[in-house]
Amino acid sequence: MNLPVVTQSQVAHRSLQQGDRTSGYVLLLPSLLVICAVTLFPILYSVWMSLNQVNLTENGYQLQFDGLANYNILVHSGVFWHSVWFTVYYAIVTVAVELVLGTLIALAIQNVQALKGLSLVVMLIPWSLITVVSAEMWSYIYNGVYGILNALLQALHLIGAPVTWLGTPTLAVVSMMAADIWKTTPFVVIIVLGGLQMIPAEYFEAAYIDGANRWQVFWHVTFPLLRGSLALAGLFRILQAFGVFDLPFVLTNGGPGNATQSLAILGEESLFQNLHFGVGSAIAVSTVILVLGACLLFLSVFQSLVRGESA
Amino acid sequence: MKQTKGERVVGYGVLILFLLAILLPFFWMIVTSFKPNTEISAYPPTVWPVHWTMEHYQNALGRFHFLTYVRNSVVVAVITTACVLALSSMAGFAIARLPIRGKTPMLMGLLMISTFPPIAMVTTLYMMMRWLGWLNSYQALIISYTAINLPFAIWILRNYFLQVPMALFEAAKMDGAGPFQTFYRIFLPLTTPGLFAAAVFTFVASWTEFFMAFVFNSSDQMRTIPVGIALFSSQFSVPYGDIFAGSIISVLPIVILVVIFRRWIVSGLTQGAVKG
Repeated sequence: MNLPVVTQSQVAHRSLQQGDRTSGYVLLLPSLLVICAVTLFPILYSVWMSLNQVNLTENGYQLQFDGLANYNILVHSGVFWHSVWFTVYYAIVTVAVELVLGTLIALAIQNVQALKGLSLVVMLIPWSLITVVSAEMWSYIYNGVYGILNALLQALHLIGAPVTWLGTPTLAVVSMMAADIWKTTPFVVIIVLGGLQMIPAEYFEAAYIDGANRWQVFWHVTFPLLRGSLALAGLFRILQAFGVFDLPFVLTNGGPGNATQSLAILGEESLFQNLHFGVGSAIAVSTVILVLGACLLFLSVFQSLVRGESA
Repeated sequence: MKQTKGERVVGYGVLILFLLAILLPFFWMIVTSFKPNTEISAYPPTVWPVHWTMEHYQNALGRFHFLTYVRNSVVVAVITTACVLALSSMAGFAIARLPIRGKTPMLMGLLMISTFPPIAMVTTLYMMMRWLGWLNSYQALIISYTAINLPFAIWILRNYFLQVPMALFEAAKMDGAGPFQTFYRIFLPLTTPGLFAAAVFTFVASWTEFFMAFVFNSSDQMRTIPVGIALFSSQFSVPYGDIFAGSIISVLPIVILVVIFRRWIVSGLTQGAVKG
């Protein structure tokens, strides 16, 4: 491809638009190639692999078309359905709590000026923390024998005997969600605070002068103007939550039993421990379908919320 | 906006509670890393170490090849960040300022795909890496992380490029500068904050990523920090002291980055949200 060379004398006459368009594609091409090779193509190829029996050879693999056989195995597997169920409600609960809690905290602290730089740094710490590290940290806090959480609750006389937080299915799920909420709520707070700063103060003043109460101001002024920030935070969180892997891997390794076995944990197990690449691909594709569905659902619910407000 | 005294008290109260909730678990990890093993597994726990010890730091650095993991993480994160900056500044400029058909839907699509759970692409990627002989190599992670972080970096930079007045672009053109010259001479210098924001996001994401690093680079010599720390534990014991010592070493560079670049991190995040 020829790069357009624009000399001074040409500027006035030649078709600038055409030259700009060509250089646009030239600038865009490297990024597109990398992204397609590493994300788009692998996702599509996983769909194809999921329709095959995959046999590993010495340094490659053989595919044998097998129709929907891999999906047939999944549909009849209780373990698979359990991990779908766990992933879905884990994502819904954590994202909902993080969005609501994050918005509430942001609204409460938006006008507090003190310590602004310092609190910003503190809020960014959980976001920048390696998830494996925060999981190890929580596993020590939750420890049933010498964990500080039990010691605290016993000192406050809230529990009698030490609790094995990660030892029973329900408690393990709740503890894991709490660790996730600890790590991600500050991120939501930052996004919402940023959104709040963009709203001109006159909007609020005008609403109060018109006699609106606090709730009306929030519902009719703040919330509609925050929807961009909230939708973004929500989408990011949903996409992440559906891939949850690090936290259960370290905290419970999917247990007790398979109580915290997310789709990613199940997929990793069948792919790299049992080397069932066909079934593993089918699990990966199921995750993609679920994630897409969840994003569309989230956006449509969100839009109808906003529309309901303006009606 | 008028603000009652009650509101301000509530604001301070919530802020202090919130910051404490963030810091206390973190504080517990730091304190524990200086306790001898007998104190780490004592119940009820000692809040402040009775006997301070550096043994866990010595263990992490000596017994667990932690410095190798640090080196691997640094190499991968630095090269990934450089690649992402080079590619995303070009693409972000093109999307913001040059006429390309269908660029907004394309950008949104890429953004969605890049945030998909890694399990979606890791099956095929593993096969590709295996076929290329790239398992347990730096390039396996660098290429994967570059692709995953590119769309978000492009998006941040596009928002910054959009803020540079179009008049500057036209003026440069009238002076005979081509699109490439305009890009390097005018736009890049004006969008430095955006470049910093994109760099920090990419660096942090590469530094913390676990799933792909675990699947592609599991040999002891090629582990990154998250994989190394996750595999500290043996089947029979979890050496919390050593784990936390390693964790704190690995957190320090990131905390320094965050302290320096906090404003740009936040503006990178929020501008995107508003401009969509």
